Amino acid sequence: MIAGRLEKLQLIVVTGKGGVGKSSVTAMLGRLLSGMRRKTLLIEVDPRENLHHLFDIPPSGGDVVEVDPFLKIQHLEPRSIIDDLVREKLKVGFLVKRVLASPVHQHFTAGAPGIKEAAVFGRALRWLEGHHPRGIETPECIILDAPATGHGVSWLLAAQLVSDVVKSGPIGEMAADVAAFLGDEARSGTVVVGMAEEMPVEETRELIEAMKTRMQRRPEFVVLNALYPPVPDEGTDSEADDFLHDLWIRRRQINESERARLAAVWEGPLLELPLLPMDPGPALVGRLGVELSRWLSRQASGRGGRG
Amino acid sequence: MSGIEHPLQIVVGAGGVGKTTLAAAMALKHARAGERTMVMTFDPSLRLKDALGISEAEASEEVEVPVEGEGSLLVSLLDARRTFDRLVRNYAPNEEARERILSNRFYDHLSGALAGVLEYMASERLFEVSRSGRFDRIILDTPPAQQAIDFLKAPERITGFLDSGGVRIALKPWFDAKGRLRGTAKLGFLGRNVEAFFDHMIGLDLLRDMAEFFQAFAPLFDGFKQRAFEVQRLLRAPDTLFSMVSAPGPHRVADTLHFARRLEEAGHRLGPVIVNRVHPLPEGPVKATGGTREGVALLQWLAQREAEGIEALEDLLAGHHPVIRIPLLPEEPTNLDSLASLGEMISESFR
Repeated sequence: MIAGRLEKLQLIVVTGKGGVGKSSVTAMLGRLLSGMRRKTLLIEVDPRENLHHLFDIPPSGGDVVEVDPFLKIQHLEPRSIIDDLVREKLKVGFLVKRVLASPVHQHFTAGAPGIKEAAVFGRALRWLEGHHPRGIETPECIILDAPATGHGVSWLLAAQLVSDVVKSGPIGEMAADVAAFLGDEARSGTVVVGMAEEMPVEETRELIEAMKTRMQRRPEFVVLNALYPPVPDEGTDSEADDFLHDLWIRRRQINESERARLAAVWEGPLLELPLLPMDPGPALVGRLGVELSRWLSRQASGRGGRG
Repeated sequence: MSGIEHPLQIVVGAGGVGKTTLAAAMALKHARAGERTMVMTFDPSLRLKDALGISEAEASEEVEVPVEGEGSLLVSLLDARRTFDRLVRNYAPNEEARERILSNRFYDHLSGALAGVLEYMASERLFEVSRSGRFDRIILDTPPAQQAIDFLKAPERITGFLDSGGVRIALKPWFDAKGRLRGTAKLGFLGRNVEAFFDHMIGLDLLRDMAEFFQAFAPLFDGFKQRAFEVQRLLRAPDTLFSMVSAPGPHRVADTLHFARRLEEAGHRLGPVIVNRVHPLPEGPVKATGGTREGVALLQWLAQREAEGIEALEDLLAGHHPVIRIPLLPEEPTNLDSLASLGEMISESFR
């Protein structure tokens, strides 16, 4: 069922707090979709570029960069999208300059709450509909690695806020289109990433709750990343280094109890990804992809989502 | 040494690295050593609240944590909205101005959306508390920022903003009596185009609401600006010491180093760099067999990579700042004693 969703969704928003591995999950999903031969674009909005490290390619610097024939990545500055919108709508060079230099634009158009977020989604939507610079293939799916600032849900709600306040004009229309798109279950979905530790689980619980009450939507699935490996049943090994062994057992117990705390509010599909002895890079993304594929086939055969 | 070294300590670092727990641990250690201590913190975890004995119900602005001996420990829970509201109450010249701001439909969104507001509020509160003379030592846990540098930029961003066109524009009425954008009128044809463009882009109604928000705020700006200036001076004072917390791992080194440089370039004093939750290196050879091999090997690999990262960091910092390793503990501190021993661990390595 999830694999079916991943074959159809046009937009997947990967959200969660900083430091939980959102970029790795974004990269892993990108590889999966490209493996399905879906033309996929990964968009990164974080001020620091990360995604290219995971594929071992040069940074995007704002351009669309190819990872493989079906997978591309792009780093976006929200501000430049808004400026592009001005250029596109105004067309007359000296007026564009005037508007872009005007404090009204700098502090109000670009600074108004929610516009930045709405503009990123607006851009994604337009590209999916084929409105993009020449020489770029129309993506079939866009995966957004949402920035960690603020609450994950604020990104998803921004367009609605803008559309409530701005009723007309290109920004109002864009925001309304985006809000409808993000509300459309057939076209867009969210993947929430967390770790099985106290604060990340707390934040994940809040995010799921906020999506439910404020958007009437639920995540496609939730990822618990970087879990310590399960402790084997045969119990403690007297030969092993006691300290490392105890630390491992205790951290795994915390993972398990926090996973249970998450499960109390989330009954949907839960993908658990192991903590691995690997640096961020293509090998790690490949290994996580194997975990994802196994999990998807277990999901498909109805053997549950917990593990 | 007379008095207390660095009565102001500011704990900075990216989100999720454990700043809050370390700040509380440092504060408790100082309080137990007999100092009147305050720790100012954002959004502590439930576990930390339990450890400190602050339950959800009594989460008011300041909570006293019982400490034996001469010292004392107050925990101040910072909340951006509450601080902002108080600022409006304190600075608004009259009831009417206050109501105008608080009821503006953008207040909610703008108070949070203005870049750096949360960070600014933290340093603003620090200034207030440090002025009061109630404490020997104040430790500020900074808000969860995506990047550690955001905290430092905040006062400058606010003063920059106050000096920039934004406020000059906010201070003069934006719209003339006819409800037209002022300033565009005297541009004639061109001005009408610009105005029409803004109307078309986002609607003049929105601009009017936002302009009203800034206008309502205008009487507050002078006080703000003066304070922002003094906050900046406080953050650069010899009394103030920054501690930076980082997650372990070689891929964090570049970020940590970048921030350390930025701090010093901006004229701040950086003390220790605390690498938190480091997987400990085993002492001597590790024997693991059968089923336990996987977990133990993973922990060893992590310990090894993290040790390499810390070595690289130490090399690059070239002895200018001590690098303190705080090991990953079997569990987060759950009571005052375990919190205090974490505090000991930091100050011992600092020596």
